[in-house]
Formats: sequence, C-alpha cells, structure tokens
Amino acid sequence: MKIRSLMYHFKDGFKNIHRNRMFSLASIATITACIFIFGVIYSLFQNFEFMVKKAENEICVTVFFDEGLSDAQIKQIGDTISKREEVSSMHFTTAEEAWNNFKSEYFADFPELAEGFQDDNPLANSASYEVYLNEASQQDALVSFIEGISGVRQVNRSEVAASGLESAARLIGYVAIIIIAILLAVSVFLITNTIVIGITVRKDEISIMKFIGATDSFVNAPFFIEGITIGIVGSIIPLGILWLMYSRIITYVLSKFSVLQNILVFLPEGEVFRVLAPVAIILGIGIGALGSTFAVRKHANV
Amino acid sequence: MIILEDVVKNYGSDVPALNGINLHIQKGEFVFIVGKSGSGKSTLIKLLLKELDPTSGEIFVNKKNLNKVTRKKLPFLRRDIGVVFQDFRLLPDRNVYDNIAFAMKVVEAPNRKIKSRVLAMLSMVGLLDKYKSFPNELSGGEQQRVAIARALVNRPAILLCDEPTGNLDPANSNAIMKILEQANKQGTTVLVVTHNMDIVAQMKKRTITMSDGKVISDREKGGYFYED
Repeated sequence: MKIRSLMYHFKDGFKNIHRNRMFSLASIATITACIFIFGVIYSLFQNFEFMVKKAENEICVTVFFDEGLSDAQIKQIGDTISKREEVSSMHFTTAEEAWNNFKSEYFADFPELAEGFQDDNPLANSASYEVYLNEASQQDALVSFIEGISGVRQVNRSEVAASGLESAARLIGYVAIIIIAILLAVSVFLITNTIVIGITVRKDEISIMKFIGATDSFVNAPFFIEGITIGIVGSIIPLGILWLMYSRIITYVLSKFSVLQNILVFLPEGEVFRVLAPVAIILGIGIGALGSTFAVRKHANV
Repeated sequence: MIILEDVVKNYGSDVPALNGINLHIQKGEFVFIVGKSGSGKSTLIKLLLKELDPTSGEIFVNKKNLNKVTRKKLPFLRRDIGVVFQDFRLLPDRNVYDNIAFAMKVVEAPNRKIKSRVLAMLSMVGLLDKYKSFPNELSGGEQQRVAIARALVNRPAILLCDEPTGNLDPANSNAIMKILEQANKQGTTVLVVTHNMDIVAQMKKRTITMSDGKVISDREKGGYFYED
C-alpha cells in the first residue's frame, strides 16, 4: 500500500460511513454502550481496589503481654513477630505512652479527672506492639501465630469488612464481563452488517477494480478505515461522557455519605483515565477491525 | 502472447463448456472470436482473466502460466489485460475523466502520470470535450469509448473485448472498431468476442469460430465459418 493511496482510501471510507449513516450510527451507539459499561466497571474496580488497599494498609493487630514480662522478653517477642512475612511494619507503645494517649483522648477537656490517678498508671500492663499487615487476608494466620507465643496475653484484631466486599465485587465483575462480552459480540455483528451494506452498494465498483488489477489490500482498505473509524468514534464518545460524569459523581457521593469520608477515598480522573482511555480506544479499534475483517472476508471476494 | 493447450472447462454437466481448446495468439495480433451463444466464448474470456480455472490443460498469458498464478499475484496479471464489456460497466457517480483516472488510481499510479495519460486517452477516443460529463449524459457509443479508454489507460499488453458493439448501432460500432484498430497498431494485442458478423467481415482480421466448446475454424483475414 502506497502512502499516496491513503488519502484516496480515507475519502472512500468516510464516503461509505456517510452513505450508510443510519447503520453507522447504530454501530457507533452499540460500541458506545459497550465501552461505557466497560468504563464504569473499570472505574468502580479501580476505586474499589484503591480503597481496599488503603484500608488494608491501616489494618493492624495489637499485641499485649503477660504481667511482669521484662523489656528484654518483650523485645524478643517483637523480634519473633517482625520476622513474619505478613508483617509490613511494627510500632511499640510503652505503658506510659498508652496512658498519655488515653488521657489526651478521653480527659482532654477534663484534666482534673486524670489528676486523681496522680503517678499511678492504670495502664501499667498495657505496653503493646501495633503490627501492620501487608494484606488484610493474612490477619487470621498472623493472629493465631502470635497467640501461640509464650508471654502474649491478648491479641486485638481489626474488623475486616474488605473480604466480604471483595467477593461481592468479584460477583459484580463476572456479571459485567458477561454483559460486556454480549455487547462486544453485538457491536462486531452490527459493524459487520454496516460494512457489508457498503460492500453490496459498491459491488460493481469492486468488481471493476479487481478486473483492472487492484490488489486485495487496496480494495479492502476503505472498509477497514470505515470499521476502525466507527470503532474510534464509538470509544471517544463514552470516554467523554465518563470524564464529564466522573468528578460530578464523586462530589455527589461524598456529599451524600459525608460520614464515610474516611473510607470513601476516590482516585483522581487523571489516574483512572491514564489507563482507561488507551484501553477503550484500542478496544474500539479492535471491534472495528474485527467487524471489517468478517465483512471483507465474506463479501469482498468478487 | 496467449497460448491455450488442451484446455477443458467442465461446469459439472455432461457437455464441457470448453472441450480441448488449443490456441496460439501472437503479440500484436487482432483476433475475433465468434460463435453461437453457449459455444464457450464467454468461458474463454473468464479463463483468460483467471475468473475461472480450467478443469484441465494449461493457459499462458504474457508468458505466465495461469495455473501457477496465486491469488496474491492475480492483480498483477490482470494489469497486463485490459477488459471491455458489452454493458460498459462505468461508475455512474463519476465523470468521464474520473472513470478513466480510476483505473490508474487503483493500480496506485503516480498522480503526475494520471493527468497526462488520461488526457491522452480522452484524445484518442475523441471525448476530450466531454471529460466532465457523467455516464448517463453520454450515448452508448460514447460510454463504450470511455470504457475502452479506461481499459487502455494502464497500457496493457492485451485488450479483451466481450461483445463491445453488442449494444451499439452500426455507426458507433464502426467507430469503436477504429479505436480498437488504433490501439492494435500501437502494439496492443486485441481479442474481440462478437456476434457482429458485419464488423468481422469488414475488418478482415484473424477469426476463430467456436461451437460446442471447440474451435471449428481459425481463418486469417476476415473469413468466418458459422455452422448452424
């Protein structure tokens, strides 16, 4: 294929789209729906994963010790725990720090209440390790390990709702994949039909081209341009809609569920669209190219 | 230029469309092929264009064995052959100039060559003044002249004409024959399939008569043999 022929093919491809504009519009609408759903699901998953990761980073197990344990013994327990692969980081809180934290949290407005304790630390046996995990799913294994260590009195665990959410999200994901697959098939089918109409209208022209000595790639090029153009337009429209909707929806959700502001932390548009935009456009091009291939293989062999 | 050796084409019925054809057409010849409907003339044209493959036998066009021409190489074989049909087969949405230029564009000829070559062809077929007209604004004879210009614009070695005067009156038929003769004088091998015996008699060229898929006569200088 020579470069100078490209303009000729583009002109022909766009002419085909214009000729069959109703079918072209139907194809664009289907691809738009398909990629829009894909975009919504992708954005949801990306944000969900982001929130889960963030929540997981905050999950920690607190370890308390038997009364009368020496600092050296506590340190030894700390060393044993820190060697575990589930552990991301650890922080040691002395009994004094624990009491100071308690006072600043509960007696900040009434310091006179704390004065009653004078130098007597009611949390004298509350020195603890805060152990942060790499992944929330590792919590059970780590807790049972720590509970087995001699000298450990109590292990407090974080409530993990994420695992339940993960299985729900997986189910939604499967349903979405099925819907997207059906829409993909419909899109390819519609593009194929749109291009077949173009081929049928130009059957005589194609036949003359082949008698004159046009190569298959020359004859087929405008139909590929037609399919791929429909695919690209069908992917840009939903990307535009998603871009406009994204920040608005986040603002709405945050205003409606302000109580959950600590949990609901969303990714900025740029972060989501950095991957979504090229993937959606490649998907559109793929659908267009596939539809064109089917149409040309079946009908352009005049 | 064109050689057929024991060519048989069977469409599946008991009687083959072509039954053991042997033909040698030299470079620069002007040959008529005549015969009744069903004699095998159209099948012969289709075989030369490799629209169909022979059931047996070999066909050589411009030294290329058609049995060995792959689908990928077929377009390049066809660039050696110009074709003119009885029904003209012009593109109705393009004017005369664009119809002729179309033939050069599809073989990806350079743009600078297209204009000069198309104008030369328009001059040769006498349609320079009608280059902007659309096919529906032309007479049958003029449309056939455009079709001939389109077939010749890429300078093929061979020109195949399938009933080129079938839809034309005697005056226009004569004009078409003069153009074909001119192309032949410029070196193109011309093969004309026709029913028009007046033209054949008048032109006095080599004439091959076919009947029931066989060559029943091959005579020099306009003689023809039509068996009823």
